[in-house]
Amino acid sequence: MLKTVQSTQCSNIQSMGRRAFLERLCGGLGAVGLTGMLASDLRASNIPFGPHFAPSAKHVIFLFLTGGPSHIDMFDPKPALQKYAGQRPDSVNLRTERMTGGLLPSPFKFQKYGQNGTEISELLPNLAGCVDELSVIRSMYTFNPTHTPARNLIHSGNIASTLPTLGAWLSYGLGNENENLPGFVVLSPEPGGFSGSSLWRSGFLPTKHQGTHFNHSETNPEKMIRYIQNNKLNAKIQRDQLDLLTSLNREHQSNIGEDAFLEARIEAMETAYRMQFEALDVFDIKKEPENVRKEYGSTFFANGCLLARRLVEKGVRYIHVFYGPGQPWDDHKDINKNLRNRCPDMDQAAAALLRDLKQRGLLEETLVVWGGEFGRTPVSESGNGRDHNPFGFTMWMAGGGIKGGMTYGSTDDFGFQAVENRVSVHDLHATILNQLGFDHEHLTYRYAGRDFRLTDVHGRVLSELIR
Amino acid sequence: MISWIILLFLPGLTAYAQSPETEHFERKIRPILLKHCVECHSSQLDNPMGGFRVDSKIALLSGGVSGPAIIPKQADESLLIKALRYKDPLLKMPPSGKLPDRVIRDFEIWISNGALDPRSDKPDLSKSPKKPAGPGTPIAEGRKWWAFQPLVELPPPDHNQKNWPQKKLDAFVLAKLQENGLEPSPYADPHTLIRRASLDLTGLPPSYKEIEDFVLDPSPNAYKELIERLLASPRYGERWGRHWLDVARWAEDHPTNESTNQPHEFAWRYRDWVIEAFNKDIPYDRFIRMQFAADLLPNFKPADMRALGYIGNAPVYHKDPRLSRDVIETLASDDWDERVDAVSRGLLGLTVACARCHDHKFDPITNEDYYGLAGVFASQWLVRRPIVDMNPKVAEKLIWDYERLYRLKGQHRLLRTLSTVAKEVHPQIKAMKTDFEALEKLLAENKIPLTHAVIDCGVWIDGSTPTVTWIDLHPNKSRDLPVFIGGNVSNPGKVVPRRFLTVFSEGLTPDPFKKGSGRLDLANKIVGVAGPLTSRVWVNRVWGWHFGEHLVRTPSDFGVQGQKPTHPQLLDDLAARFIKNGWSLKWLHREIMLSATYRQASRSIKLAKQVDPTNQWLWRKSPGRLDVEAWRDTILQASGELNFNMGGPSENIDLKNSTRRSVYSKISRSLLHPLLQLYDFPVATQHKPKRQVTTTPLQQLFVLNSKWMQDRAERLAERVADLENSTAKITSLYRMTLARNPKASEIDLALKFLKNPDLNHNRRPWEEYAQVLLGSSELAYLD
Repeated sequence: MLKTVQSTQCSNIQSMGRRAFLERLCGGLGAVGLTGMLASDLRASNIPFGPHFAPSAKHVIFLFLTGGPSHIDMFDPKPALQKYAGQRPDSVNLRTERMTGGLLPSPFKFQKYGQNGTEISELLPNLAGCVDELSVIRSMYTFNPTHTPARNLIHSGNIASTLPTLGAWLSYGLGNENENLPGFVVLSPEPGGFSGSSLWRSGFLPTKHQGTHFNHSETNPEKMIRYIQNNKLNAKIQRDQLDLLTSLNREHQSNIGEDAFLEARIEAMETAYRMQFEALDVFDIKKEPENVRKEYGSTFFANGCLLARRLVEKGVRYIHVFYGPGQPWDDHKDINKNLRNRCPDMDQAAAALLRDLKQRGLLEETLVVWGGEFGRTPVSESGNGRDHNPFGFTMWMAGGGIKGGMTYGSTDDFGFQAVENRVSVHDLHATILNQLGFDHEHLTYRYAGRDFRLTDVHGRVLSELIR
Repeated sequence: MISWIILLFLPGLTAYAQSPETEHFERKIRPILLKHCVECHSSQLDNPMGGFRVDSKIALLSGGVSGPAIIPKQADESLLIKALRYKDPLLKMPPSGKLPDRVIRDFEIWISNGALDPRSDKPDLSKSPKKPAGPGTPIAEGRKWWAFQPLVELPPPDHNQKNWPQKKLDAFVLAKLQENGLEPSPYADPHTLIRRASLDLTGLPPSYKEIEDFVLDPSPNAYKELIERLLASPRYGERWGRHWLDVARWAEDHPTNESTNQPHEFAWRYRDWVIEAFNKDIPYDRFIRMQFAADLLPNFKPADMRALGYIGNAPVYHKDPRLSRDVIETLASDDWDERVDAVSRGLLGLTVACARCHDHKFDPITNEDYYGLAGVFASQWLVRRPIVDMNPKVAEKLIWDYERLYRLKGQHRLLRTLSTVAKEVHPQIKAMKTDFEALEKLLAENKIPLTHAVIDCGVWIDGSTPTVTWIDLHPNKSRDLPVFIGGNVSNPGKVVPRRFLTVFSEGLTPDPFKKGSGRLDLANKIVGVAGPLTSRVWVNRVWGWHFGEHLVRTPSDFGVQGQKPTHPQLLDDLAARFIKNGWSLKWLHREIMLSATYRQASRSIKLAKQVDPTNQWLWRKSPGRLDVEAWRDTILQASGELNFNMGGPSENIDLKNSTRRSVYSKISRSLLHPLLQLYDFPVATQHKPKRQVTTTPLQQLFVLNSKWMQDRAERLAERVADLENSTAKITSLYRMTLARNPKASEIDLALKFLKNPDLNHNRRPWEEYAQVLLGSSELAYLD
C-alpha cells in the first residue's frame, strides 16, 4: 500500500470508493503534498460506504446465552474428567472469579452426528440434527473472568463499557436496507433490556446506529414497541392529523426555502407513519401459522428466534437475541439440573431457526452466531456448579457462507484452556465482518484523534471456517 | 508541513544522551535529512529521485545513479556536500534553496569525522505509514503548532463595508467573506432575533407579548438591553450550565452499576453548583480551578465542595475483589484513563489518552506525559464530602466512615461466598461485615449534606492475598505511576513523577507537582501556562453553541489530526481578549451576540451556498434544530405547565407530573432515558466533543403517538377551552406555541381540520389540533 499515485490507480477511483481512494492516497509518502489538501475530506468521511467486497451474508442473528453456557456439557466432550473426577491437577489451577474445587465430570452423554461425526451432548438433540450446518469453534477464549467486562468484550471488542457494539458497527458500515425498521434490533425479554442499553450502544458512532431494543416477553407488538401505535386515533383520523401537520410544515418551509432539517423532518414524519403499520405487522408473531410456531416452541427465546427470522425477511441487518431475562446460563450451582431444564427450549428454538431459514433459502445470506460471554470451568464450584471460564469455551456459527459439519480448535484434556487453533473474540469479530463484506482492518471511524476499529489492533479472519 | 513531517518522526529524546558523534548526527544531521531530503529520497517511494535514499545507513552511503553520496572522512569529495554547496550547476540540493552555511558546515564536520551513522542498515521507515512506530513528533518541533502559540490581540483586518461591523470579530469575518467572494446576509428581522437570542441564552422562546414589545421598541438599545435581560435571568445558568455538563460528561451513575460502583446519589449537587456558577459568571479560570481543587483555594466556602463533582461524579468501573491484581489494576487504570481523556480533550483539546501505550503518533505528547497526568488521578479517590462548615477532623472521619461503609458493603456482597472455601480470608470477611453494619448504624443518624467529590489519597492495588485483591488506599499520600509499557499494567517501566505535559514546560523536563495529589497544580497549569490553549478551546466551544458550528470543527482535538480554525485570527484575538476581560463568559456572550455576524438572517442564498455549502465563512447564521432540552421545555411552556423551581434532586422525566426544566432530569450512563436518547443527547460514558444531530422516524413516532405529547396537547387545549369562537381559540393557540398570530390560510386549514366529521365523532378535536402545533417543525426550528 506504499505506492505512489499513478494514473492506473486513479482510473480505479470509481470502483474503490472515495474513502478507500483517499486512504490509499494519503497512506503513501509519494502523496505527501496532497495530504494537507485532502486531510479534511478524509476526516469528513465518517460515513457508511457499503461493503469492501462482495459479501457472503446480508444479515446476522446473534443468539446470546447470557451468563456463560457450559461448553463441557454441550459441545466439548471431555472423557478425562471422569477419570480424574474430584482431583485438582496443576493444569487446572487457574484463577477464575471464585474459589473452585476438583474436576467435575459431565453426566451428559455425547454422540457423533452428521456427515463428519461432530460430537454433541444429549442435551441438544435438535441442534445435533442440524450439525451439518454448524461450524463449532471449541477453542474460543476471552480476557476477563467476570460478566460485565467479558460481555463488553464480546459485544464491542473491549472490556470497557464505552466503545460501539458489533451491531452498531454493521449498521454504520452497511446502512439500512429497510427505512421503515431499525437496522440493528435487540430482542431481550425484560424491560430496559439486560445491562441497560450498554450492550447495544453506538459508542462514538452516530446515535442512529445504536440498537433498538424490543422487549419480547411481550407478544403484543403494541406493548413491545414504544410509541408505535396511536392509542387515541384510528388510522384515518391520524392520516388527517398528519396531513394537517405536513401542510403546516410545508407552508413553514416554503417561507424559509431550502433547509435540510425541515425537509428531512417532513420525510421522517411520513416514514414514521408507514413504520407504524410495517413494524406492527413484522413484530406480531401471532401472524405466523400455528405449525411454524410449534416448531420454535412457546418460550421467550422461541419467540425471539422466530421474530429474528421475520426481521431478516424484512431486511433488518443485525438481530441480537438475548436468552434472558437476567443471566440464566450462570450456573454456579446445580448445573446439571439447570441444564436439563434450560437446554430443551434453547435447543428446540435455535434448531427451528436454522431449519426455517434453510427452508426459506435465507440461511445462505444469514449468519447465525451462538454463544455466551465465556464458558464454564471443568472444576466444580460449591460441589455441583461451575465457575466462569474465560480460558476456553465453545461458540458456533452457521449459514452466511460458513462451512457446516465441522469443528475447529480444541481445549486441553479437561476443557479448561483453548490450546489448538485458539480463537479470540477479535478473530470472531473479524470473521463476522468478513462474511458481511468488510475487511475488519478498514472498517474504521475517526474519533478522538485516531481511527478506531471493532477489532482494535487484533483479529484474524478464520478462513478455515469459510466456504 | 507538520502533517507530513510527523509521518517521518524524529528520534526519541533519549537518543541525545549518547556519544558526541551520535549526538551530532541526531541533532544536526538526521533532522535535516528528514526535513529537506526524505520527501524525494525515501525507501517508501517506489522510485526515489535519482535512485537515492537517505533513510538508512547503507542507502546513504551507496548513493544513487550518480554514485556514492558520501566518502567518509573526505567531505570535499563527497557528492552530498557538493550538492549542498550549490556550486555545481547540475547538482544543487535541496531544490527549494541552499541551506544555511552553518548547516552545510555541520555536514562537512560529520563526514570529516567519519560520517558515523547510528541507524540500522535497514531503512527505518519501512513500516506501514499508517502506523509509524517509535516516538512522535519531538517536543521542540511540536511546539510550533498553531494551537501552542502565545495569544496576542490582533488588529482588525481592512475591509470595505465600514457600516456593517458592530464588534471587532465582524471585521475578521468580513475579511474571510471577501476573500471568498461572499457577502454577509442582511440582519434577521426582530421577531427572529429575539427568538434566537432567547433560545440561545435561556433555552426558552420568548412569549408573544415579549416579542411584540421588542418588535415595537423604537430604542436603538433594545437589542442590547434584551441581551442584558437574558444574561441576568436565572434561566441562563440552566441553559449554559447544561452545555458545560456535556463537556464534563456529567451523569448520576456508571455504565454498569454493581456492588462496587453504586450510582452517585448526590450528583445533582454538582449540577446545581454549575448552574449557579454560570449565573454568577465565575471567571472561567477560577471555574476550572474550583472543579479540581475548590477545597484548596483561598476563600473556600463549604458549598464550593460541590465543584469537585467534575471528577467526583466520573464513571467508575466495577472492581470485583475476587479478580486478580492485574485485572483490578487494569480497571483502575481505565478509570484514570477516563479522567485523563475527559480533562485533556474537554479542557485542552488534546488527545492525551492516545499516549497511554506509546508516544502520541501525531502530537507532541509523550508516553511519559500521559503517566505524569494519570498519576494525579491515581492520587485521588472519589468520596462523599460534607458541604457544611464543620471541624476538619470530624469531617475527615465522616468522609472515611462513608467510604468504608460503601466499599466494605459492596465488597462483602461479593466476597461472602468465599468464606466457606478460602479459610485464610474468612476472618477478614467476617470483620468486614461487623465493621460495615456498625458504620451503617452510626451513619443512619447523619443529617449532614454530602456531595460527590475527591480527596487526596494514593491508590494502590494489593494482590498479596491469593484469593482476594484489595484496593489499598493511603490518604494524603500520592502515587507516581510507572509507564505501563504498551498500556499493560503487568509491564511497569520507569516511574514518572506527577507533572504537566512537556510541551508546555520550559525545557524537556517539566517540574513535578508538589502539593498533595497535584490536582491544584494541574488546574493552575491548565489555566496558567496552558491558558492560551484553554482559552482557545473554550472560546471555540462557546462559539459552537452560539452558531451551531465551531471555528475549529473538531472542538476536542486541536492537534495535528484535528481541523485548523476557519478563522484563526478571529479565534486568537477573541481568546486573547477573553483572558484580558477576566475570563468572563458573559463578556464573551456580549461580544458574540452583539456582533453583526450573529445577527445575520439564516435564509439560504443560492449563490453563496454553491461557494460555501457548509457556511464555514459565515455568510449567514446557520439555522438548526432545538436540542431535546429546549424542545421539551418549549412544549411544556406552551402547555402552561413548565415549573421553574431550581435545583435539587433529579427527576425521572417519565413521571406524569414531571414538568421541571429538562436540565433537572435524571441522567444515566447505563440506561439513558429513551426520549433523550431519541433526540441525540450525548451518552456520558466518556467525553463527547459535540452533539450529533439526527432526524429520524423514531423521533416522529414520539411526536405522533406518545402519551407525553398527547397529554401536553390536552393541557394546551384546556388553556383555550373557555374562549368563545374557533378563530379566537386558534389565534390564542398560535400565540402560545409559536408566539405569533396565525395567517388566514392557517386559520382556514385549522377550521377545515376541526370540522372533520370523523374527528368529532369520538374525539376532542382541539386536542388533536393542539398536538399538531406542538409537533410542528416551526416550533422545533431555530433560525
